[in-house]
Amino acid sequence: MGIKNLDQFLYDYFNAHQCEVVDQIDGRLTVQLNEKMDRALMNRPFYWHYIKKMGQPGDPMKLTLITDHEDAESQGEKIHFGSPRLQQIWNHLRDNERFTRLFQVIHTTTNTALHPWLVVNVKLSYIGKHKKDELFSIGLNLVNGIMKTEMMEQLEKHEFQLKVSDYCYTISPIIKLSSGFKRIEAVLEDYIKNQEHQWADQSLKELDNEMKLLNHFYETNTEEEKEQMEKELQEIKERYTPKVHISIINGGLFYLMQ
Amino acid sequence: MNNIDIISDSEFISDLENVVDNDGPFSSWELFNMSYQVEKATISEKFDGLKALDFLPQIEFLPHQVDTAKQAIEQMNGRAILADEVGLGKTIEAGLILKEYMIRGLVKKALILVPASLVNQWVNELNQKFYIPAIAHRKNYSWEQYDIVVTSIDTAKRSPHREAILDIDYDFVLIDEAHKLKNHKTKNYEFVRGLKKKYCLLLTATPVQNRLIEIFNLVSILKPGHLGNYESFLEKYGKDRKKIKQDAFLKQLVQKVMVRNTRKETSLSNTKRKIESVWIDFSDEEMNVYQELDRLVDGFASFSKITLLREMCSSREACFLSLQKMINNEPNKLDRLQPIIQKIEQLPHHAKAQRVVDLIKEIGDEKIVIFTEYRASQLYLQWYLQQHGISSVPFRGGFKRGKKDWMQQLFKNHAQVLIATEAGGEGINLQFCNYMINYDLPWNPMRLEQRIGRIHRYGQEKDVNIYNLAIRGTLEEHIMKLLYEKIALFEQVVGHLDDILAELNINNFEDEVQSIMNNSSSTGEVKIKLDNLSAVIHDVHNKADQGAQQYGN
Repeated sequence: MGIKNLDQFLYDYFNAHQCEVVDQIDGRLTVQLNEKMDRALMNRPFYWHYIKKMGQPGDPMKLTLITDHEDAESQGEKIHFGSPRLQQIWNHLRDNERFTRLFQVIHTTTNTALHPWLVVNVKLSYIGKHKKDELFSIGLNLVNGIMKTEMMEQLEKHEFQLKVSDYCYTISPIIKLSSGFKRIEAVLEDYIKNQEHQWADQSLKELDNEMKLLNHFYETNTEEEKEQMEKELQEIKERYTPKVHISIINGGLFYLMQ
Repeated sequence: MNNIDIISDSEFISDLENVVDNDGPFSSWELFNMSYQVEKATISEKFDGLKALDFLPQIEFLPHQVDTAKQAIEQMNGRAILADEVGLGKTIEAGLILKEYMIRGLVKKALILVPASLVNQWVNELNQKFYIPAIAHRKNYSWEQYDIVVTSIDTAKRSPHREAILDIDYDFVLIDEAHKLKNHKTKNYEFVRGLKKKYCLLLTATPVQNRLIEIFNLVSILKPGHLGNYESFLEKYGKDRKKIKQDAFLKQLVQKVMVRNTRKETSLSNTKRKIESVWIDFSDEEMNVYQELDRLVDGFASFSKITLLREMCSSREACFLSLQKMINNEPNKLDRLQPIIQKIEQLPHHAKAQRVVDLIKEIGDEKIVIFTEYRASQLYLQWYLQQHGISSVPFRGGFKRGKKDWMQQLFKNHAQVLIATEAGGEGINLQFCNYMINYDLPWNPMRLEQRIGRIHRYGQEKDVNIYNLAIRGTLEEHIMKLLYEKIALFEQVVGHLDDILAELNINNFEDEVQSIMNNSSSTGEVKIKLDNLSAVIHDVHNKADQGAQQYGN
């Protein structure tokens, strides 16, 4: 499970968006939004449209979020897992934090080489009668082709920034991003193919079963109902045909010290 | 395994290359990592279980509601009949199922078909309770534009909506009050069969009302062939609904697509119903008028006679208006009716209304719902209560949706009493209130059950108190004694009343009682006949009870 502490998560989020946290106690956080975040979260496009038309800078709102369910006193929005505000913040992250290029922060006075890695966070969704997801974080060294899993967990131990640290230099990738990605995809597909897929067998069985029932249902029926049957057949296939979706959450180029 | 389709993300890497070529924009490490953490927190790591429960910490689900949602998803693969008894929270179960599918990314486009009077209530419930962004369909909205749309089946099946809707591939279709689809020859049925849908829920408290073929028709929407085809089903089970009891195999099959919780088995029975009969005596003047009316109208059509007498037991106004109407329709009756109209005009306040005021004062500072059968009585009561400093709001079936919501709010926040007529019974949830006065009793116990279901339902935290009013020495006495007290209908029988009546071949309970009243020449005869009716109902119920539940689980 990610997000162990919602207070911390919110603090980090607004901090990373350069919004000043005006007030924070346990279970409550007040933040002064900046224009960018007001536009992203407060849902008042007309305000920004007119204020800009009038040549004014505008007045971003303050937002108070309450994570403590017991707190009935404080003025502000309750926020919890599943609440619309948190959903909005999550979607904002999903939409905007897709790509990156980061350099490991190194405090050094000697020349240090940084190796290029392609890091991809992937979600595999197994969809049949039911659905489940599996998360992977995969890193590929674009010089020597070494591949690692649980990459994010390893990266968390370091610091990163958007530009190269002093005295550091980067090594040019030998493997292109797209061919690197193909290697990762191939590994994932192997991984998928080498599993036992009981869930898929069960789905196919159910598919077969319902198709038989359908045939029986229309056994004595006329030509006219062919269309209806065809429609229902499609629905059954749609619902039970097993498939695996590979979707990329986010990814980027990371320069790391060996 | 080779027969699993693998669908890859074809755009990601070229997008990344573009961003790198353009030298940005790049996410900071913090935000990049947070986005990954969000995914980690929200994925569904298992095929089973309800992820939605984590997302709805503010709702306290009852155990049977969670079980039902799990069963509908895990065992029925998202196509199910939810057939709980009234007031156990079918809406909650359906909301939970929809939420689960949305969280898992399996449903984006959903169509929710409910009675017109319930559209707003569904929209509110889905938005406020479940944070599902549902909207009510409005005239100029296109069906494509919004993902989760609530509308009535009558709107949906009309051109041009019909064509637009039938063109869309829905991930999820829900039909409330699905027993209206029991006949496969209707336009509604044909329309629902024609919808392109992946998951589908049918909600009804009465899956089988009369004939077994009804359940066949409902199941055929979800899983055609599950109960065989039309011909083979008819051949095997005929039109007889009793067979479902005898045929364990059929019962099993039905259970695979239907969940039914009853009040008995669920923890809802924790809150009790206290039902009290309140007897009232007419004043002498009132009794005189009542008896005169009884004699006077002897020559009239029996229907209008009974109506007039019932109205007299409710309010002078109700009776007066009907008499006026009769005169308008048949001016030749004027001479016979004029004297009694004059007497009615001179009557003091109705004994029942006076008792209601006393009763409200005895109950004290609590919210109270009053049900009456007549609009004239509703108006009169509102005026009379106001004279005694009791605030009330009216509620009728004819109110527009917005007005209904508004009245419900007014009652919740400002008024002490809500006065509703029968038709207003559907579509209001008043679980914040636990007192109900039945100013006059409907002649069909099912309808009383529906009234009570407005307050004794999921979400009610206290015991509910119900007062049934009846005037001694009138036809109300028969109804109260024989229908309500004797059968002790409420909790045990009413859940099965539909089944029982069908078995007795009684289509309309009210008509049955009416005809007993009409065709009896003396009070004694009425009594005996009603006695017999209640005895038969009792008998059938006891037998049914021994056979435990007939269907569902």
